[in-house]
Amino acid sequence: MTNKIKELRLRANLTQEELAQKVKARRETIVFLEQGKYNPSLKLAHDVAAVLKISVDELFEFDD
Amino acid sequence: MTLKQFKIVQLIIAIILGITFSQAIILKNYLIPVAVIIVASLIMLYLKRKVKDVIADERDYLTGGKAALLTVQIYSWVAVIAMFIFYSARDLNPAYEPIGLTLAYSTCLLMLTYSVIFRYYDKVKLSDKKLVYSALVLILFLALALFSARLFSGEDDWMCKDGQWVKHGQPSFAAPSVPCNK
Repeated sequence: MTNKIKELRLRANLTQEELAQKVKARRETIVFLEQGKYNPSLKLAHDVAAVLKISVDELFEFDD
Repeated sequence: MTLKQFKIVQLIIAIILGITFSQAIILKNYLIPVAVIIVASLIMLYLKRKVKDVIADERDYLTGGKAALLTVQIYSWVAVIAMFIFYSARDLNPAYEPIGLTLAYSTCLLMLTYSVIFRYYDKVKLSDKKLVYSALVLILFLALALFSARLFSGEDDWMCKDGQWVKHGQPSFAAPSVPCNK
């Protein structure tokens, strides 16, 4: 699974810490999310997508 | 309060607890650590609410769950092996028997507690029968506490009577080697 979190976060001019605060997560979680090393819950995925103003479907790309 | 300040306070409290525990053991006063741990827990609970940053998120809870499971498994294996060693060596030193039994019962209690909590989060928390389940668990633990109290109450022990060690019940270990002065 890959994602566009880093790309969209930088476009939104947000630091990892700021994004973490907005979605009520720890910065480390955002780091692992961006690296594709952590599968978030549906709620966290939804919150991140909402902050980055994109749909969950577009934010995450699944390898079939 | 920031997360950094909270962690500093947490560290200071841990140090105070350590010092208090060691002093309590030296002074043989076991009420002090109980009181201190209650006060420390209340302080930590209060301060936790004052922290604006996120202390733990879903990834921490996930990692915590995995770590807890592995800890239970490792402790159970180590305790069971140690229990068999202590129990089989009880003829060498009678003091090994209570150590073995303590390890055995602590393992049982740990696994039972884990199973109850797992079951609660797995099914009960999502159902409407929370109260019934909680009452059943309370009854089970009360029964277990009574059983443990009976087991460790000293029913089968050696009693000091007129300067002699006298059997009370059927102790499975030899009389204490220390002189009986009462």
